[in-house]
Amino acid sequence: MKAKVQVVLCRCCTEMPALLNMERLQKLAAESNNVVSVMTVDAACDGKNLAPAINEAKEKEIDRAVVFACHKKDISPAIVKAYRRAGVNEFLVEFVNMREEVVLPHMSEPERAQAKAETKMKAALIRSIMLAPLERQTEEMKTRNVVIIGAGVAGQAAAHEASKAGVHTILLEKTGKSLKAPGIIMTNAQLVGASGYGGNLQLKIKAGEKIENLGAAAVVIATGGGWTTLKGPLAKSVKDAVPLYKFYEQMQTGSVPKGPIVVVDTPDPAGKTMKVQDYAWDDTLETTIELKKKHPETQIFVIFQEMRAFGLSELAYKEAAELGIKFVRYDKGGAPKVDPKNPGVLMVKDFAQGELLNIRFGTLVFASIPPNEDNKAIAEALRIPMTMDGATRRGSIQRWPVSTPRSGVFVCGSALFPKSRDVAKAEGAAAGAMAGEFVKRGRIEFGGIVALVTQEKCSACLTCIRTCPYEAPFIGTASKVEIRVQACQGCGMCVGICPSKAIELHNYTDDQIAEEARVLLGGDF
Amino acid sequence: MAERRPKVIGFCCEKHGMDAAVLSARSGKQLDASVRIVQVPCTGRVDGIHLLKAFEDGADAVFVLGCLEKNCYYDTGSIEGRKRVGYVKQMLTEVGIEKERLEMFNSASSNAWAFPDAVSKMVDIAKKLGPIGGGERQ
Repeated sequence: MKAKVQVVLCRCCTEMPALLNMERLQKLAAESNNVVSVMTVDAACDGKNLAPAINEAKEKEIDRAVVFACHKKDISPAIVKAYRRAGVNEFLVEFVNMREEVVLPHMSEPERAQAKAETKMKAALIRSIMLAPLERQTEEMKTRNVVIIGAGVAGQAAAHEASKAGVHTILLEKTGKSLKAPGIIMTNAQLVGASGYGGNLQLKIKAGEKIENLGAAAVVIATGGGWTTLKGPLAKSVKDAVPLYKFYEQMQTGSVPKGPIVVVDTPDPAGKTMKVQDYAWDDTLETTIELKKKHPETQIFVIFQEMRAFGLSELAYKEAAELGIKFVRYDKGGAPKVDPKNPGVLMVKDFAQGELLNIRFGTLVFASIPPNEDNKAIAEALRIPMTMDGATRRGSIQRWPVSTPRSGVFVCGSALFPKSRDVAKAEGAAAGAMAGEFVKRGRIEFGGIVALVTQEKCSACLTCIRTCPYEAPFIGTASKVEIRVQACQGCGMCVGICPSKAIELHNYTDDQIAEEARVLLGGDF
Repeated sequence: MAERRPKVIGFCCEKHGMDAAVLSARSGKQLDASVRIVQVPCTGRVDGIHLLKAFEDGADAVFVLGCLEKNCYYDTGSIEGRKRVGYVKQMLTEVGIEKERLEMFNSASSNAWAFPDAVSKMVDIAKKLGPIGGGERQ
């Protein structure tokens, strides 16, 4: 069947005709193969202006469209929706960014811009014919369960927020501590295995001695941080150093800490620099200020490599300085060590002054949370990536600040990196809200531009499996790679890397890209 | 005879790369008109064959523009793209084409000067090195 293409030229108010000869473009479009309708509209982004084009598309039974307008991201949702009403598949609507690629950057060269526009039109028409119609698929979620792993600050906030969306929340708590949160709380429970994909996950949970199977639509990882002791040369000479959270707990119970207090920012000051630990800063300042207010006579020193009290915490820094808390900055060369002659004195080289300071200390506190040891088992079960430090890795910061690259699996709090209570709580609420939203929809949508494996060509070399950040390819029953369509995001990384050229990305095949490049390079401008 | 116009082709990722190009246009930056843009979903999709075919089809310089490596929309896409570009550079040296003709750039979507910078750099290289092989190509 011969394709019927409609070309829509947008004037972008008056910007296009100011530089380009619209009649010549219209003529070129009308003379091209397969083009049955050419429409010029004032602004394609305006539904009213687009209506005649859509009506004509209905009349002439158009099956493909090429829209010459501005940035695809800005205009595609409305136009695709309009064309869907006219019975055009959404993946057959091709957008050409004439305004930002041709008109705006070449204002002073109308002839070259015209030639470029014509070449772009040719390339777009050829590409349009090569596009394949695709369908999105949907699948109903079998359950409405949001499983939250970890019932700490972040986990409880997530449960509160998720329950607002009307979903079932199930909290897994490793210890047996009793707590109050909406939903079911399973104590002594741990995640040991999982299968399926976001929306329809099958979890294996070890509760007490039994292994239970649980269906879940979404998972929130809120494992929090782990436990650590002092490391490096300092650990040999100081035996009774306390972690900050424990120190804080002791302070709450009313015990008076001994002597001058020294707070170090990492458990291993002589080792490699830790990542930005806003936890360390927010909580160090909070704790020391509280302590100084309670016991003004106590001397407090804060020894640090990097000061990253951000936002309003800067005010706390000022307050601490005014209360008389001493801040000493050191760099790697002058890491604090205990005086060999006098075990109660800490020697540290002040970076600002360049002087060696001897600080007498009674209690040594270190502020840090290492990643939770359970992260590894959870990451293996849910097939999500981890960072080098052993924490859970999140997806792209803009798109997925509290999600993992796997859809339906969210992560918050110190499972990502050490955080203060407030930040963990806020992140937990965000992750809970996202999980609630995700499950509330009741179905998952997938398909469209996804990768497809030609199984005859596949040699099962596992390259794609190692490359894909979303764990979409897997070895199927025929010992060949298959693509988990529900997980595929359509980036095409596996396609580019496949040594056997067995994978193809719908509508971005090698032929389509090479042909477009060829036509564009053929033009003389 | 008019000065020979170089042919520069850029493979831009649809996410941050294309956003950077659009932002530069919207903020009024002017470019050399000889640049062609091919949109790919991610720079990881760019295959060696696309880059080599572009040279075969008459490009004097080819560039790939993707997201920042630590901030890629598809997580590790621009790292894959960089590997691909490095691989093809090696191939170009083997067949006797200057490897400077192929370059990878990264840009944040809020960076209005990255795209014009990349274009002017590649156009300069194309003008400096002249057509591939020194003379008229078949």
